[in-house]
Amino acid sequence: MVYLLLTGFLVAFAAPLLHHWLGRRVFVPLTLLPLIFSAYFIWQVPGVLAGETVTQSISWVPSLGVQLQFRLDGLSLLFALLVSVFGVLIMLYSRGYMGETPLLGRFYMYLTLFMVAMLGIVISDNFFCLFLFWELTSITSYLLIGFHQHKSESRTAAWQALLVTGAGGLALFAGLLLLGQASGEITFSGMMQSGMDIRGSSLYLPAMVLVMLGCFTKSAQFPFHFWLPNAMAAPTPVSAYLHSATMVKAGIYLLARLSPVFNSAEIWQFTLPLVGGITAVMGAALALKHTDLKAVLAYTTISALGLLVMLLGIGTDEATKAALVFLVAHALYKGTLFMVAGTLDHCTGTRQLPLLKGLGRRLPWVGAAATLAAYSMAGVYPSLGFVGKELLYESALHNNGTLGLVLGVALLAGMVFVAIALVLSFRIFWRKSSHPIALQHAASPYLFLPPLLLGLASLAGVSATTPLLLQASLSIAPELHTSGKLVESQGFSLVVQLSALTTLLGLILYLFTPRLHLRPFTTQDFPFGPDSLYHLLFSNFLSGSKRFIHTLQDGYLRHYLVYLLLFFCGLSCYVLWRDALVLHLGDRFYMLQSLRLYEVVLFILVVSALLLLLNTRSRLTSIVVMGLVGYSAALFYILFGAPDVAATQLLIETLTVVIFVLLLHKLPAFSYLSHQVFKLWYVFVAVLFGSVMTYVLLLVQENAVSSDLKDFYGEASYLQAHGRNMVNVILVDFRGLDTLGEITVLAVAAVGVYALLRLKPQKGGKP
Amino acid sequence: MKTIIFSTAIRLLTPVFLLFSVYILFRGHNHPGGGFIGGLICSIAFVFHVLAHGPGVTSRVFFSVVLYYYSRPKSHSYTRYALRVLRANFRNKRDTDEPHKWSFVFLRIRPLYLVATGLLLAASSGIVSLLGQKPFMTSYWLKFELPVIGSIGTPSLFDLGVYLLVLGVVLQFIFIMSKE
Repeated sequence: MVYLLLTGFLVAFAAPLLHHWLGRRVFVPLTLLPLIFSAYFIWQVPGVLAGETVTQSISWVPSLGVQLQFRLDGLSLLFALLVSVFGVLIMLYSRGYMGETPLLGRFYMYLTLFMVAMLGIVISDNFFCLFLFWELTSITSYLLIGFHQHKSESRTAAWQALLVTGAGGLALFAGLLLLGQASGEITFSGMMQSGMDIRGSSLYLPAMVLVMLGCFTKSAQFPFHFWLPNAMAAPTPVSAYLHSATMVKAGIYLLARLSPVFNSAEIWQFTLPLVGGITAVMGAALALKHTDLKAVLAYTTISALGLLVMLLGIGTDEATKAALVFLVAHALYKGTLFMVAGTLDHCTGTRQLPLLKGLGRRLPWVGAAATLAAYSMAGVYPSLGFVGKELLYESALHNNGTLGLVLGVALLAGMVFVAIALVLSFRIFWRKSSHPIALQHAASPYLFLPPLLLGLASLAGVSATTPLLLQASLSIAPELHTSGKLVESQGFSLVVQLSALTTLLGLILYLFTPRLHLRPFTTQDFPFGPDSLYHLLFSNFLSGSKRFIHTLQDGYLRHYLVYLLLFFCGLSCYVLWRDALVLHLGDRFYMLQSLRLYEVVLFILVVSALLLLLNTRSRLTSIVVMGLVGYSAALFYILFGAPDVAATQLLIETLTVVIFVLLLHKLPAFSYLSHQVFKLWYVFVAVLFGSVMTYVLLLVQENAVSSDLKDFYGEASYLQAHGRNMVNVILVDFRGLDTLGEITVLAVAAVGVYALLRLKPQKGGKP
Repeated sequence: MKTIIFSTAIRLLTPVFLLFSVYILFRGHNHPGGGFIGGLICSIAFVFHVLAHGPGVTSRVFFSVVLYYYSRPKSHSYTRYALRVLRANFRNKRDTDEPHKWSFVFLRIRPLYLVATGLLLAASSGIVSLLGQKPFMTSYWLKFELPVIGSIGTPSLFDLGVYLLVLGVVLQFIFIMSKE
């Protein structure tokens, strides 16, 4: 599996090059890749169905427990197959949809990267590994949404998606870490076996909340749903693949994966159905009001995701089964519909529902695909969607606690799905129209074959996927009893009656849709919706940080110094106050007797130089005097036996003086502009800093720590490091990594100075 | 500050400074000194040179390489061609009466290149030990000692990196500040 992922990444990064060599035929190798993936996963199916799991592990950072651990069980395999088989079709479809783009190679690169990352999510067993791939999907999604980078709405939407899912990802990471801490396990398989006893842990609740946040943002649950409709700015293959079939299902996957750990908690049982229910109803309602084809599909996707979350929250065996069946059904039909929408957009140049009419004659295959998908969406008999709906009602009816809520939500959402399925198939393609829309070009096979195949799969997928679905639900709920069938047929039972009722209500709703579309939605309709809130927050954050930086960094070096010194003094004073450190100077006065003459001379020299410095108005004098002080410090170092430090001090002092002299004639004439009060203020800060430093140093001397460090270095530097100069050996050998860090900082500073001083700002312009 | 005495003295002293800085660099392992101090001394040498002669002269004299070459005529064998090019570059003797024309490339060693080289050296000195399956920056020493320089090992390489980097950083500052 590792090699598969690695090959995937390699091929992804080679895509631009391949595009350069092969031109539009680049899709051939890139379709082969998911084909190989699918072949591999299909090859694994018999083993997994027999109950085996395929595992693989490579240690990465063993000290932190970060390992590339992969594990393929039923649930993983189901998702992996979905991702890779869907990937084949999307790669083909992209050739038709994006074929004319000059950046086709880049597009394929992002898409392949995403596919590999998504596979990584579903097969990784380790928390860190999962998080890595999780964030990679967020980033590739950002790149794909913003693929039309010249459009500002694309860029905004991409930002929004990245921020929302990225923030959720961070929450998820924190949640996973807490989970790992509470259970002592950092793999999902380990959690399943031994992690059940973490319910009493105090970290259980925060971990659960954080994980839920991560999953909700990824899967576009209320109130984080707003990024998904905006993400429709992406090219349609991306919407079909990422934003309906796979990436938004990552949250569902993780919720399903962790539900054995969490589903006994009341908060879980309460929050998931509630949030899912709100999302489902809201998505359905908004889908009806929109006229943009992709927006309609996006809101129905949100609604479907809500249903899935609700089902996982119910957590009974039927609900789990229903969630998985519905998930697969939804991925298949929604992917198909998205591709159909893209094809229509490509062929007619519009996505507005009222304009799209009477297309069945001229785009028969597209129409066929849409109809097949619509069957599944509406939940009509032979399709996978029918089974999903059946199971949904069944699990609703068998669950007494939240019967009303679940049933109501399911009924409402199902009704809307039926109506929209009718709109998307019957009204666009098959209803006779007096003003059929003009076609710009016919649909190429790349544009209609993938949706058609997927549509067929959504109709015929029931028997093919049943064993796998059952195996997948086994890996969520291990004690599930299966009879080899998804639905126990019960004749004309209550479930079937409900299903029929939904279809009927949907039909009635369909008749009202033209009226609903009379006044389509605009963003102004929701001044306090989450989307507007996001934009408000975003712009305020930007302007706020700008103002903050402008006040704090006003360009005056002295202000920066004052901030730094005051902060330092505050910190030191706080520590002194907290630990009540008192100096006992009285015991040490006798030490003054051992003062040597040249020390006294140096001391007097420094003090008088400083006094002179305060009184001079000439820059040259002050520079020279500063140099004098520096050199005296170097002398002190020599007196106390630190030749290396003294040499460095001397050289640095020299350099400083020379650089000052170099710049001297460029400075304006010396003048006192500061107000008297400010001068006093600076004096105060200087005195404060000086006294705090002195006090701290005296304290340090008083409580000198005895350590073996000196002896150790004394011995080791010669015996192990072949050097007699301890200071230098420490610098380049024992603490070489520190030095490396320091010189890196120095190098970065040099680059910064280069950039700052070489930019010659125009007067009044931006620096 | 372009006085005759100062600039003449600096011209004579700069090589001494440079030699001294290299001495300090290699001395550092057993006596006070090392890459940082050596680099500072070296850069101070150049700083004084800049003060005396201006940054243009300094960078022309010390930090630029002119490579001469000509397109090889059919009559010249490869050996002859190589010898001629070498002579032109190292002994600065170019036959002007030849039918071919000399062309040259002017390479400037920018201070940032020094910084980058130093960082690369310092960082890669630690990678050596990775090849031997040891932790990053485990030091290796040659078994024998070189004359004059003394024992050589990966820490010396690291020190050399620090030397170059410090030199580059100070030169960067000085060149930019004195140019403005």
